[in-house]
Amino acid sequence: MGDVSCAFVVQKPQYKGETSRLAITHAISYQTVEILLDDGDTVTPTLNFIGEGVLGLSQSQKAMENYGITSTENHMMNCCLVDLEVNVCKEDLEKYGIDPATLPDAEEMGADVSINVVPMADIKAKIDAARHVLIF
Amino acid sequence: MGKLTIGCFPGLVGNMSYDFALKLAEAAKDKGHDVDVWFSGNATGSIAAGQKHLKDYSTAEQHLTRLMEKGVKFCTCEACSVARGVKKDSSIEGVIWNAMHWYLGSIHGADRVLQIGGE
Amino acid sequence: MKLGVFVSDFELTNDTLDRVGPDGVILVANGVYHASLKTDGKASPLLSKYSSLYVLSEDLETRGIDAATVDSKVKVVDYSGLVDVIFNEFEKIAWL
Repeated sequence: MGDVSCAFVVQKPQYKGETSRLAITHAISYQTVEILLDDGDTVTPTLNFIGEGVLGLSQSQKAMENYGITSTENHMMNCCLVDLEVNVCKEDLEKYGIDPATLPDAEEMGADVSINVVPMADIKAKIDAARHVLIF
Repeated sequence: MGKLTIGCFPGLVGNMSYDFALKLAEAAKDKGHDVDVWFSGNATGSIAAGQKHLKDYSTAEQHLTRLMEKGVKFCTCEACSVARGVKKDSSIEGVIWNAMHWYLGSIHGADRVLQIGGE
Repeated sequence: MKLGVFVSDFELTNDTLDRVGPDGVILVANGVYHASLKTDGKASPLLSKYSSLYVLSEDLETRGIDAATVDSKVKVVDYSGLVDVIFNEFEKIAWL
């Protein structure tokens, strides 16, 4: 069957609800799905943040210190470390006055990819091209 | 006939989206489609056995059992379940326990995927 | 590929539905109010935005909404009919 593409779309902020975080961890699990599939079959997600979903993605988070949970910052760095394509809506960052430089980066940890800040039109293209769309 | 994979994240009591997921699963199965349901987040609490079926509360145990007898596959996120104190040996028999990649594996073979978020 | 989006709320607090740009909308749960309720005398804007509209009969009945009040643009389907819509009318589906 080959590759199946999925567009994960996160439209709610991190932390108050769990679902936004679960979107990230589920997308990351594409790394190990091959153990359940036939040889050569893969699932390729893109992880896309739009609307209020762009909130709670920044650096310097103290989720572990205050609530004992892994921060979204760490989850986002893990995304980069497993070569997951992550797209954050440029227009929504601008709308909320969020500097893209505040997004996590895992280059120093050896990541080959970084988080992409892209126009909504690019994210829409990902949604249109994907075989399945999962909105969180 | 095709395959429907449903990702069900909302809790059993307090959100009727869970009820919708089960009713859709049953309708699809009754029409001859294959159906997988993945429980994550608060939905994993629904697999605890020994649920009391009170009149004004959504319930799952009888419905889940009936759907499994029809051939619907249910899998719960092991991490989400144990975090909520659900124990394997006191959970509804027949529900698979696995990690998140089970959901993606099911998606790989699905014709339609419906991700129903939590809260 | 044709995308069908389930709308499960009446008050849409964000513009995700517009941005995702579905080919059709399936009204379920509290989303069924879009099919018949008028706000300040006006029908839901969803009815004029999307040409392919469905509403779940069981969720209308649960809320005491008479199917006869559903706008003519919206097709009323039960769970069984909904399965056919999912498999025959759209290639992919999503939930809001």
